[in-house]
Parts: sequence; C-alpha cells; structure tokens
Amino acid sequence: MNFKKLSISVSFAVFALYGVLILSLFYYYDGAVFLETLRSSRTLFSIRLSLFTATVSTIIAVIVAIPSAYALSRFRFFGRQLIDTMLELPMIVSPVALGAVVLIFFNTPTGTFIQDHGIRVIFSVYGIFLAQFIVTVGIAIRLIKAAMDEIPVRYEEVARTLGASPARAFMTVTLPLCKRGIIASSILTWAKALGEFGATITIAGSMAMKTETIPVAIFMRLASADIEGTVVLVLMLIGIGLGILYGVRLLTGRAVPV
Amino acid sequence: MPKIEVKNITGKVLKDLSLSVGDKEILALVGPNGAGKTTLLNVIAGLTDYSGEVLFDGVNMDRVPPHRRGVGYLFQDLALFPHMNVAANIAYGLKIRKYAPAVIGERVDELMNALHIAKLRDRLPYNLSGGEKQRVAIARAIAPFQKILLLDEPTANLDAQTAKYFRSELSVFLRRLEITTVFVIHDLLGAEEMADRIAIMHQGSIEQVAAPGDILFHPRTRVVSEFIGMPNILNCDECTVLSTGLVEVRSGSMRLVLPYEGTAISKLAISPHDIYISDSKPPGPALNRYTGTITEIIPLRTVVRVKVLVDGNELLAELSRETFDEMKLTAGSTVHLIVKLRRLRYFEV
Repeated sequence: MNFKKLSISVSFAVFALYGVLILSLFYYYDGAVFLETLRSSRTLFSIRLSLFTATVSTIIAVIVAIPSAYALSRFRFFGRQLIDTMLELPMIVSPVALGAVVLIFFNTPTGTFIQDHGIRVIFSVYGIFLAQFIVTVGIAIRLIKAAMDEIPVRYEEVARTLGASPARAFMTVTLPLCKRGIIASSILTWAKALGEFGATITIAGSMAMKTETIPVAIFMRLASADIEGTVVLVLMLIGIGLGILYGVRLLTGRAVPV
Repeated sequence: MPKIEVKNITGKVLKDLSLSVGDKEILALVGPNGAGKTTLLNVIAGLTDYSGEVLFDGVNMDRVPPHRRGVGYLFQDLALFPHMNVAANIAYGLKIRKYAPAVIGERVDELMNALHIAKLRDRLPYNLSGGEKQRVAIARAIAPFQKILLLDEPTANLDAQTAKYFRSELSVFLRRLEITTVFVIHDLLGAEEMADRIAIMHQGSIEQVAAPGDILFHPRTRVVSEFIGMPNILNCDECTVLSTGLVEVRSGSMRLVLPYEGTAISKLAISPHDIYISDSKPPGPALNRYTGTITEIIPLRTVVRVKVLVDGNELLAELSRETFDEMKLTAGSTVHLIVKLRRLRYFEV
C-alpha cells in the first residue's frame, strides 16, 4: 500500500469510527419515544434554554473578542504574550475545572458580595451565561484574530492617509473585510457554547426547568438510565452541530480550524 | 500646496536626514534597495515613528496623526480596497471627510475622466489589470483634495513600455494639479522623465539633491557616481551640425556624432557599459569608433572596468568578466572602442 492510499485509509477509518458511533444510537432509537421526548415540556425548555443562553453568551463573547482580537493582531504591547497564553487556558483546562474556579471565586468575600449585591450567578441562568462565556471567549478571540491576521495592515494605512481615524479605518475597512471570518467564528463559538457541559453543571447546577441545558439534560437522562431519551437529545445535538459546521463551510468556502 | 521640510530625521534606516521640497515641486527619491526611500515617505505621511522634525509650510507636523496631515500616498502594492468598486475606492477619502454627495460625484467623475478609467466605475479591484489598478490608486490618493502626494514606485507594476508612457502622462497630470509630490523610483531615467529635482539616497542619508542634468554631469560623491553608472564626462569644445538631427562634438582631439538639433551641447556623458571593446578592428563605418591603449584594469565581482586612453581622453569602459577573459587584455594592450550612438547623453549650455 503506498503512502497516499495509507493516509486516505486512515482518514476513512476515523470517519468510520464516528459513523459507527452515531449509527449505534439508532439501536436504541424508538420513533414513539422520540416524538414523546421532543414534545415534553422539559425537553422543549432545555432546547429553548440552550438556544437562548448560547446566543446571548456568543453575542457577549464576540463583542469582547473583536477589540481584543484586533489588539492582539495589530499591536505589539507589554503583556501581549501573557494575554495570548491566558486565552488558551479554556482550551487546555477542563471546563469542570474552570467551573470549579468560578464556584470557588463566588465563595470568597468578593464573590459573596457580588452575589448579594449584584447578580446571583451560582445555580441560576446567569451562571449558564458565565460558564459558556468563560469557555468560549478565548476561542472566539483566537478565531477572530486569525480572520484579522489575514487582512493586511496596509489597507488601514491607506485609509489613514485618506483621512480616516484609526477607529474609522477599522470600521470601514478592516471590519467589512473580515466580516465572513467573524460570522464563521461566531457560529463556531455558538456551537461550542451550545455543547458546553462541564462548567455549566458546576456553576449553574442541573435543575430541571431552570438550568437544564441540552448537554445537562443528556447527562441527567443517562444518569437515570433513560437510554432512549438520551439518544433523542444526542441526535438533536449532533444534528444542530453538523448543520452549523456545514453552514460555516459554505460561508467560508473552506474548512475552518476549530 | 505646501513646502515640505524634513529636518534631522532619524529612525529605522534613516540617519540624521534633512531635505526640503519646494511648493508644487516634483522630487524623485532614487537609490538602491534599503536606502530608506520608502521609510522617508512613511515619515512624511506620519506612518512610522521618527525623531527629528517634519514641517509643512513651516508648520510642525510631528504630533499630527496621518489622517490629519493631508498627504495622499500611493503605496507600492496599491492596496485598493477589495470590497469596494472603483468609484467607491476613489470616493472613500471624500466620504470620510464628509464632502457633500454632489461634490463627491463631481470629483470622482473628474478624476476618472482625467485618468481614463471612467469605464471601470463599477468594477471590483480583482477585475482590473496592473495599469488600471495603478490609475485607480492614484485617483484615490489625490481625490480628497490632498496638499501633498507621495508615490512609492508609481510604475513598479507596469511593463517597461507602459511604464514609460505612464510616467510622461503622470508627469503632465501632476504638473496640471500643481501638487507638491515626492516619489520613489528605482531607475534614474524614470526619475529624470518626471522630476524637477532628484535626491540620491544611500544607507539612510541623502547623498545629493540636484536637477536631473546636474546629477549626471556633476555627481558630488563617489556613491552618486557609482549609482549613476560612473559615466565618462566629456567637455564639448566644438559642436558642428552635420545634417538635420545630427551633430559632431569635438572633445580634445576626439570626435563623436550624436542625434541632436542645434549646437548648444556643453558636456557629454557616456556610460561605461555603452562602450564596446574589441581586441580586433570591427568592420563597418568608422562613426564613433576609436583605437586606444588600456591604462588600468579594475576587476569587480561580475564585470571588469578598463580605463582606455583615446585621443587624450581617458574613457572608462565596462565589459563582462567572460568577455574580458576571452580577449586576454592587459594594461598597455591596444583595443578598439565603439560608442553606442543613441545612448549618448548631453548637457546643454
């Protein structure tokens, strides 16, 4: 077997692994249970909650990520390397650990003060926003920075010589040019937020009809040995995820590094 | 249009550089790669850090950001905004400065007509040829009624023939606009075609600033002389019209014929690589052909320069190392020289 055939075979083997795993879900698939689970108010709540929290946390993450990514892409400043390294923290540290860090913070005097005089984060919907934000913001910055890195600084210099202030040059030239990259990054951030589990369950808990997102619901059904119910929710999550990745591929015309 | 003064500029490759560009003047910056030409343009535009002073009409610009300097800049890579069509690219600066839509429309039309790009109005940059992009970028740089124009290699993206035509067109266009212009160009010939004065730069400093003819006939330093190709300068003792468009120039006892109308030539410049050397007498008419004796051989990396004494004048000729080795020339050898008729350059009285 030559190298080309070997490498293609390996890629097909990986595809087959995922394919077999997804297909195995249908062993426990039951049409009646599928419809019943889908129609249940608890499932509908989880879907609505997941879509809502993922959307809000993505919007906040992208709003924060755009200026941060621009600074990291364009300027050389003291502490840049440190910030850049810190952004990788959510990628290498388990989300449960990040959730635990947040939980511990809100048990310090400062955290308790915020909880008592501001927003109650622990075991509330705000906890879900925070969990998803913490896990996704680093990725959002990374992806948007990659999109901005591809836009030459020269366009901004041209805009400057034509009378545009730095902010105006950014708004009228750089931002429109990396629009597709930002949209693709936002969609991937949203998908990541939608699937977030570890930090969410640690910070917001798993209260049915209150803080139960789709991944948390999957965990809860699995814990109570409800395999059919688990299959329904997993299939939904996979369907949404694959649909999004396909959409991003269409949007950018190429595979996006996740 | 303002006068530009840069005083004691130091930064990146520039070393204590001072230069003055007159009101409405077109000045060329010429020099080898890494001389600091583009850096100097960036200093004038305020796009790079520097120490020293930049003044427009006596007003200090050091703390004025690029978007308030009123300097149009044609970058070498042109950098047309890829998401805007030609008209939008040209209108960008006018919109940013909040001109009325009627003024914007009028100005865009005027520049597109002047630069013959009206038919490209709705095209996106990726759909344009190199020459078309060049014209659009110039129109965009000038559009917001800039006081100063900086051009970095304005003909770099064009083939030799188009570049020559474009240089003469651009020269006429800039003179009509009466805009103070500084442009970077790598060849002296191109600079001579467009500029009022030429500044020769070398290793972050200015070696000489002078009118085109002065640079060629009166190079002030060895660096300038090397850069312009170490031309042989011959004084014209007598100028005789041979026929329409041809004159014979006498320098000492040497006689040269060149295409020229009139008798006002005072000096001639012959580039060393425009003198052919042969160890045997070449066939053909004797026009601009001489016999001389080698007085000195200067071997360089890829070429060899030889000094030849011809009728009392010492001429410097340049030949490839291979040709030199084939002919086995030594000091004292007798050689035959042919001077290219059409490549003779002259300085008028």
